[in-house]
Amino acid sequence: MKEAAKGSRPPTRLARRLAPLLALAPLALPLLVENQYYVHGILGRILVYTLLVASLDLVVGYIGDVSIGHAGFFAIGAYTVAVLTAPPSLNGDSAIGFFPQWPFLAALALGVVLSAAAGFALGFPALRSSGPYLAVSTIAYGLIIYTFINEQEAWTNGTKGVTLAPLRLFGWSLGGNRYLFVVYPFLAGVLFALHNVSRSFWGRAFEAIKNSAVAAACCGISRAYYKVSAFVLSAGVAGLAGGLFAELDSYVAPNTFSYNLSVEFLIALLFGGTRSILGNLLGVTVFVFLPDLFASFADARLMVYGVLLLVVLFFFPEGVAGLLRRGWARVAGAGSDPDRAALAAAADAVDVFSAIPRRGGPALVLEGVTMRFGGLTAVNGLSLTVPQGTVRGLIGPNGSGKSTTVNVLSGLYPQTEGRITSFGHDLGSLTTAQRARFGVARTFQNLQLFHDLTALQNVLVGLHESFRANLYQVALGSPAAGREEWKARVRAYALLRFVGLEAQAFEKASNLSYGQARLLEIARALAVSPGLLLLDEPAAGLTAAEIEAINEIVRRIKAAGVTVLLIEHHMDMVMAISDEVTVLDFGRKIAEGSPAVVQADPAVIEAYLGKHTAPAAARE
Amino acid sequence: MQTLQLLWAGAAQGMIYALVAFGYNITFSTSKILNFSLGNVLMLGGVTGFVLYMTRGVPFAGALAGVLAVGAVAGVLVQKFAVEPSLKKSSQYAWILATLAAGIVLRNAAEVFWSTDDFKMRSPLGDAPLRLFGAGGIGVYPQEILIIGVSLAIVVAVETLKSRTLLGKAVLAVAEDRETASLMGIDQRRIILLSFSLSAAIAAVGGLLVAPITLVSATMGTVLGVKAYSASIIGGLESGYGTLVGGLIIGLSESLTARFVSTGYKDIPGFVILIALLLVKPSGLFGAHVIRKV
Repeated sequence: MKEAAKGSRPPTRLARRLAPLLALAPLALPLLVENQYYVHGILGRILVYTLLVASLDLVVGYIGDVSIGHAGFFAIGAYTVAVLTAPPSLNGDSAIGFFPQWPFLAALALGVVLSAAAGFALGFPALRSSGPYLAVSTIAYGLIIYTFINEQEAWTNGTKGVTLAPLRLFGWSLGGNRYLFVVYPFLAGVLFALHNVSRSFWGRAFEAIKNSAVAAACCGISRAYYKVSAFVLSAGVAGLAGGLFAELDSYVAPNTFSYNLSVEFLIALLFGGTRSILGNLLGVTVFVFLPDLFASFADARLMVYGVLLLVVLFFFPEGVAGLLRRGWARVAGAGSDPDRAALAAAADAVDVFSAIPRRGGPALVLEGVTMRFGGLTAVNGLSLTVPQGTVRGLIGPNGSGKSTTVNVLSGLYPQTEGRITSFGHDLGSLTTAQRARFGVARTFQNLQLFHDLTALQNVLVGLHESFRANLYQVALGSPAAGREEWKARVRAYALLRFVGLEAQAFEKASNLSYGQARLLEIARALAVSPGLLLLDEPAAGLTAAEIEAINEIVRRIKAAGVTVLLIEHHMDMVMAISDEVTVLDFGRKIAEGSPAVVQADPAVIEAYLGKHTAPAAARE
Repeated sequence: MQTLQLLWAGAAQGMIYALVAFGYNITFSTSKILNFSLGNVLMLGGVTGFVLYMTRGVPFAGALAGVLAVGAVAGVLVQKFAVEPSLKKSSQYAWILATLAAGIVLRNAAEVFWSTDDFKMRSPLGDAPLRLFGAGGIGVYPQEILIIGVSLAIVVAVETLKSRTLLGKAVLAVAEDRETASLMGIDQRRIILLSFSLSAAIAAVGGLLVAPITLVSATMGTVLGVKAYSASIIGGLESGYGTLVGGLIIGLSESLTARFVSTGYKDIPGFVILIALLLVKPSGLFGAHVIRKV
């Protein structure tokens, strides 16, 4: 009890308490430095561009889609602020006079909203396509917005651009170096929020979708919701950056927002390193400072930049920030995670099966399920009933339809005919993610781990449904969201302990051995709190000792009341731990019953070994 | 009559897009990579042709040979220094940035070492339009006939070679499955290098072809490369002949919009078609629909 109380609060560190003080330091600059060039010109630009690159990072780094159209969102924010705040007196013979004069902050807010709406529109192509197909859509979006502001004399004053008045608030000038007072709080606030979001279940959902959209769906994560959300958030932040940019030079013109800007910021992001606020800052700093450093050959700036990027891609694929991170890890020593002891202590009090739903009815009923791919019938009129709390083995020779059955059950393939019920609920109309939330979890024969995430984070993705905090609480780092995150981490640690992987909790999934990866698949599936667990060849490629460990885990899962459907090729494993076995051949059920009955069934022997024909018999 | 002339001019422009799009298709089919520097390789072809033909007075055939050589070498360099290293990285789309960066280096190099101005290039066939259908009929520039003829010839020739020759079969095998192809004794690295070299040479010729109907400058390839990219996606990345359809859609929508709406908005319909098409057919008109196995 004492342990649980101690474990209910996340550990705090001194650095975290000092950070806010340090974060205020740049605000002193306008008071101390008169020089406009470095504070307003260079630092102001770095701050605004960092916001833009951070917004790009959400899409590129976390969701894994390449966007070459963020200049468009930047332009929407900039032009919304420009046309709504520019005084007509500074923009003679233009239509600016027809627009209402809004206060800066109101115009900025509208810019963010409009840009976010444009991001919402871009989210849909992103659901349908990816890679080079999506990249071209983003370019098209960017160029459409660019063409519009370039050509629309009436709305945007065309190529002449819009001149803004220097910003004043309550009669106090915020131009020049003082503009930092406006930009910096926005930057600090947004980066703080993005940092919190990226380290929460939101950020993990983004990365899960990037690493394996199928596995993410099987953890109950709606790809559509999180992908569109990422685009909306990203576009909103880019719009904010644009709005702040408009007042930086008090002038905007279409040429700034061309295709080249999108490409250059993508390069700045990759140069600095994705998924890192430090990387965003470093990339932008180099980008802004470079022409200054190479003033004598400023014309060759892009050449230098292109070569630099190639060198970075060549030698440090994780960018400058990745390089620093690796250097830091070497200095600080690897594996020194301060949370481990606290997690291990708190995990003692956790029952990993406490959230398993208790419902009535059989765990799984299939009635005449058929799955056809074109002319090929992979599963043919399959009917079976799996009672609660049992382990059902599903075996059959290669190509007999076992894996197809699992894919139909988890909703990856819609069955051609038939009905699937689980605990009395028809699963037919549910998506993969909804089935996971309902309590049908699975593992994958060909591993589908989130390889960028640690083992602990992989299990946390499985716990996705248990999070209740909304986006605002997460972004602001509310204590409730922090407590919830800590409880989930403890639970995830307990699950890793359950499968015997606690030593690898902070190891990246891509560094795990094959056997460990199989165990992690099971831990992640259990995190979903399933009433029905589908194990798709959990022992494929494992040694006898590792198989024995999995047998033991399956027995304990069964003892906790979870129903298991086990697809396996290892006969001794299936026969040892199944209560009943169903045998498939060519998509049809050919036998069913206790292991002993099935083993003696002539049809099963024939399917696996072939028929005794006369010549073979004669040879004996 | 006027509409016919518009369609003709749009088709000629569209063929240039198709030619670069075909270049994207060639490397994509062997290595699943689009060489985003192709627009700037086209620029390199245009600039090389201009320097040789206009500045140095080299005969057109000599200029063409020079352009082909420069293009082929540029393709090899991009593959060796941008694509190959980025393939070793875990990041799935590092090659997008690597090839974009290579293109930026090419463009900026042309600006620094050649010129930042626009130049008019003479057509080897003369700049006077031919009058078809009598005096009031449509005016056709000989260069436009050359563009359409040469582009079609290149696409048909390469596609035929691909399906008829042993080397073409090797390319198709690498496209289907790189690992298995190399187990069958095909040197897949050489096939991929060849595809980069060939596609870049084709793009460079595109630069030489388009130069007389536009202007030669260091920036002539940037937007053209993007539009060719759209064309290749509309046609479907896996389809060689699809790039012709994609190029025509972009080229025609451009010339029609320029005439009936405004030159400023000429790019918009093509992009709108692209976005709408991808929503309905995520892998383009003639692209392969991929089923992902779990």
